[in-house]
Amino acid sequence: MLADSKKLKPPFNYKTIIFVLLIFFILIFSAQRVGIPNIVDRLYEVSLDIIGVKETSRISDGLSRIANEMWPPVIETKKDINLILNFDSSNLPFYSFIENQKVELYETNLETLELESREEEILFLVEPFGYLKVVLIKVIESIEIAFWASFISLIISIPLAYYSAKNYSPNKTIYYLSRSIVSGLRAIPELISVLFMVLAFGFGPAAGIMALGLHSAGFLGKFFAEDIENADQGPQDALKALGSSRWRILKEAVLPQVMPQYVAYILYILDRNLRMATVIGLVGGGGIGQELKGRFDLFEYGHVTTIILVIFIVVFIFDQISAKLRNKLIGNSS
Amino acid sequence: MSNTLLKIESVCKIYPGNVLALNNVNINVNNNEIIAILGPSGSGKSTLIRTILGLTSLNKGNIYFRTKNYKDKNFNVIRNSIATIYQNFNLVSRSSIIKNIILGDIAKVSSWRVLFNAWPKEAQDKAIDIIEEVGLKDIDYNKRVENLSGGQQQRVGIARALIGSPDIILADEPVSSLDPQTAKDILNLIRETAKKNKISVLCSLHQIDFAKTFADRIIGMKEGNILFDKPAKNILKFDLNKLYK
Repeated sequence: MLADSKKLKPPFNYKTIIFVLLIFFILIFSAQRVGIPNIVDRLYEVSLDIIGVKETSRISDGLSRIANEMWPPVIETKKDINLILNFDSSNLPFYSFIENQKVELYETNLETLELESREEEILFLVEPFGYLKVVLIKVIESIEIAFWASFISLIISIPLAYYSAKNYSPNKTIYYLSRSIVSGLRAIPELISVLFMVLAFGFGPAAGIMALGLHSAGFLGKFFAEDIENADQGPQDALKALGSSRWRILKEAVLPQVMPQYVAYILYILDRNLRMATVIGLVGGGGIGQELKGRFDLFEYGHVTTIILVIFIVVFIFDQISAKLRNKLIGNSS
Repeated sequence: MSNTLLKIESVCKIYPGNVLALNNVNINVNNNEIIAILGPSGSGKSTLIRTILGLTSLNKGNIYFRTKNYKDKNFNVIRNSIATIYQNFNLVSRSSIIKNIILGDIAKVSSWRVLFNAWPKEAQDKAIDIIEEVGLKDIDYNKRVENLSGGQQQRVGIARALIGSPDIILADEPVSSLDPQTAKDILNLIRETAKKNKISVLCSLHQIDFAKTFADRIIGMKEGNILFDKPAKNILKFDLNKLYK
């Protein structure tokens, strides 16, 4: 008989089986609590609806109702000229016209106390691409938020990375302190921290920039520090033996090695901040999110569609640009 | 003034776990002398070089450079006179050839020049001269080091060692990752440039025949002890048998 230490280990043993069973029971228990059966029921219902066995289902009803209201996207604006201050009909905004439209107005007749309707002609100022313009301006604000947030996170993360890299931190206290700052920044989601930033900086882009910047500094600090720790020791030894100081070693022997990854991280953070900058407006952080939330609350789903499409196009374009930029900056050519 | 450049006196180094890497080692390196250290793996060659470089601390003994003790605060002055060539080249692989060579002078350049990559013109001229001296003049100097062959990389390593005009070059198995012909060329290059510039060399090697043609003096090390220390022409088969058996 061979001793156990000389035999190939079996793929699983009784401990594995107990572990799998335990996980299975925990999942069953947890599924009841979080409503997994509900998801299964609804999906079953909608699949019956799709194959035609059942006539309605909650999912298809809800989604189709919204989908009907969401199409077509709204890109024009129409304003009653009586509501525009100092309206000058001889000096209309670029690419706009005045439209005469009959509108049904309801009024209470004070004598009969009944609701009466009457038709009235109202002049509207129509801008065919007016709403698209509003959305684009707001999207540009979101892009600006993303850029500034990434820039601030870069500035904060550089010293944090230096002090939280084990081989460069001057002592253990500073190492653990900066490590905990890095994890602390990462631990608070932007959607929560923006609530505090709104208190500090007021509603608008500044709150969004600070919330995104601090959160992504946590990521960059961690990524940067880990790459400094894992960089090839050889060139660092060589410069150390030449009598070079620590920051010189970092600049000349570590930075060139880690630069490709750093560029990739910064582009990732920029990409992530761009997506988050659209969300952060929902809770008061400025940018397109604020507009989206407003329109959603007013049930103006046509406007919502325009916003979502513009966000999609911007994110897609940025993705293409960043892929090109990455190739150019960290390609293999010398 | 004495002819001694580097004096290693009763040096002991014990690694954690009671591993005795250097046991009472005494070596004198004279001006303009080329010394090879032979010995099997684990004999303490690399540790000796690391202690001379100040990358490893001593447990006992003293090292003097000319008359300066390593333990004194003028260690960085000593470092300016010592250059190193490594087994794995230890070049910054994503930097260019000329940049790697200029880095050999990094401790002598002011901080703002390092920060803004504004290397002095003299350093650049010197680097270009040295590139020609080590036989790389036909290559684009701005090529990244990672795109060079092993032999070419070691030539860059030698150039980096030469740019600081050192008094001594320490070489830690500089040819063990190269093919025999390239290894021979590289050792010839080290010997020629050292003799020409009046630089001493302390070089650890594995190949006995290379050591005999390369060095003026050969030191045999085994298990942290020095077994022999003789002029290269006086090395006997008996000595080598002691070393490798």
